[in-house]
Amino acid sequence: MIKVEILFPEICNLYGDLQNIDYLKKSSDEIEIVEDNLVDEPYFLNNVPDLIYMGTLTEKSQNFAIEKLRPYRKRLMELIESGVHFLITGNALEIFGTEIIDDNLTKEEGLEIFPFMAKRNMMNRFNSLYLGDFDTDDLNNTKIKIVGYKSQFTQGYFLKNYNTNLSGDLGYMFDTERGTGLNPEIMEEGLRYKNFMGTYLLGPFLILNPPFTKWLLKKLGCENIALAFEEAALKAYNIRVAEYSEPDRGFTY
Amino acid sequence: MSKIRFFIALWVSKLAIIALKITKHAGTNFPGIVALKICPMFLKYAKKPEKIIAVTGTNGKTTVSNMLLDILTLDGYNVLNNKAGSNINTGIAASLIYGMTVFGKCKHRIGVFEIDERSALRIFPYLKPDYMLITNLSRDSIMRNAHPEYIANLLSLYIPNSTKLILNADDLISSAVAPENDRVYFGIDKMKGDLNKCINLINDIQICPVCNHKLEYEYLRYNHIGKAYCPSCDFKAPEYDFTGFNVDLDKMFIDVKDKDGIGSYKLLNESVFNIYNVVSAVAVLRTMGYSHDKIEKFFRKLEIVESRFEETKYGSRTLYKLLAKEKNAFATTRVFDYISTMEGDKEIILMNSCQGDMHHWSENTCWLYDCDFEFLNQDNIKNIILCGPRRFDHRLRLLLAGVPEEKLSFAEKEVEAPSKLKLFENDNIYVLYGTDSLNLGNKVSAMVRKLLKDKADKFEKRGTSRD
Repeated sequence: MIKVEILFPEICNLYGDLQNIDYLKKSSDEIEIVEDNLVDEPYFLNNVPDLIYMGTLTEKSQNFAIEKLRPYRKRLMELIESGVHFLITGNALEIFGTEIIDDNLTKEEGLEIFPFMAKRNMMNRFNSLYLGDFDTDDLNNTKIKIVGYKSQFTQGYFLKNYNTNLSGDLGYMFDTERGTGLNPEIMEEGLRYKNFMGTYLLGPFLILNPPFTKWLLKKLGCENIALAFEEAALKAYNIRVAEYSEPDRGFTY
Repeated sequence: MSKIRFFIALWVSKLAIIALKITKHAGTNFPGIVALKICPMFLKYAKKPEKIIAVTGTNGKTTVSNMLLDILTLDGYNVLNNKAGSNINTGIAASLIYGMTVFGKCKHRIGVFEIDERSALRIFPYLKPDYMLITNLSRDSIMRNAHPEYIANLLSLYIPNSTKLILNADDLISSAVAPENDRVYFGIDKMKGDLNKCINLINDIQICPVCNHKLEYEYLRYNHIGKAYCPSCDFKAPEYDFTGFNVDLDKMFIDVKDKDGIGSYKLLNESVFNIYNVVSAVAVLRTMGYSHDKIEKFFRKLEIVESRFEETKYGSRTLYKLLAKEKNAFATTRVFDYISTMEGDKEIILMNSCQGDMHHWSENTCWLYDCDFEFLNQDNIKNIILCGPRRFDHRLRLLLAGVPEEKLSFAEKEVEAPSKLKLFENDNIYVLYGTDSLNLGNKVSAMVRKLLKDKADKFEKRGTSRD
């Protein structure tokens, strides 16, 4: 069985994010879900899951999650370095960075795993559609077209010259074609390090992107991959890719 | 200088009202837009009624505002209100302009304002309600409202300290707003059909605000609406000052008790969220000092607003026109749940593609995965017609909800949807439209109405000729 661990579904559940894992489960009977609640000891502490998933949460809940995970930072680093898959969507990504600086200048320290910080402005909600490419890193250098949504109070920034304990180089998850990267000034979207994948794209990301979901299931070791309602998912995906590729289509809201 | 500016804004906007009338334009918000453009502090200087009642919340605020408006009007007041305009700062400004003389004097003693919960920061520094009802706070548009905790924080920050709050004790999010303010709580006691675990996709407050353990419920209506407590510490939901009980859906009445007595109130609709609307309106009026007797009499004269719910019968078939706000998973789930409880065979025209987003942008469809489409997976729902630009997203969502593909029909444009109806005997047809498609909803409903009327007429003729 392929173990998928969901971190804190009772708070990391905004905008339909949890449906991503439900879609994996509906797509493969090899998937087994483990849910960690805030008051539980995380499954990853004494086990090695195949995928750790964390979805979008409120700003207050970000603090709960950071404080809960802080004692397990070393273990999380171990798992990331050893190549365990992580899929982190929406503002959950910020938890793994160094800090979140609020517009009222309060600062929340993150887990400091990645040299990445977020600036938050609660009076300015940033909304955007997204079109980009994901590099599968296979021998043919295959790229998968990605579509999605951003809706956030924050913008993310890579920290140059920040001394990390990472053994390799930190990359990004998507090349932006339309929309914005981690912040409106850059085209690089998300964080990618070994098998850790974090993106500001939120909501039903795996349902919106069936080619990526198939790739992910394959990476997780699934043998018979036929996505749930694959034809319907692909039809909706192809329509969206075509729509987002129209030059006159507005992208920010 | 500011006062001069205010009067210029008032007079220009008054002229704008006259111009709108002459040119036969609606534009009820326009005078407010003009006034705020000329004088950004217009709301500060505008004279207001002596007594102000504000209604906000994610769902139910329009219905309850209308109830309060109707009741106060029945009581003989000439109530200033923003029913015809919007519930944001420009709509409030417009209603104040309508309510003022050219000399800036307010013509009304009392005002009922529906207020958009996101607009607190633009309204409450200048408009200080004596009473404020928060119906509930739940997930709404992801892009505008983010999440209910954000809206609760905004309200806590901007609601004036002097405002007395009337809060829903069965909603832990809204009941915790502005904790320093004077407040009363309403709620509904255990009733038939209650749950004790959430079955919905959205559950916006799952952990105890004191100890982070999972909350449990003595009874739960939907999503997070119910009587919560923490099994791990002493935390529990606030006690009710106004308790709805003895819900009688056959006679369509509910009793509401408080420390001074009991009243029996007519229900306008059997759905739980509308029962909450009635209890909340009673709580406001009781807090204002109205007697149960008086409120009961007023309630007997109320009707639900037609633009949100309309039922028409033609022969054996019935048409229901229902507002199911696009991009609002919480509200649309309530509508799906309501339809699922209705008896008889059903067909649904689902026209919930967001019309506003289709031309220049593209709809953010996250809400589809917060919304319980699973309620539509029922044997007696025979045909669901999907239309508009997002119909293939709706199709995937319905398939994932377990609805068989053969029950889905498609129409590219909404106006083509009625032709896909199967119109079987004793059919119940639900036309679901969003706030962006009010006119389209009317148009499609009119087309369905014509189809049903023609069928009924034909049937009647056949019956007569046989006689």
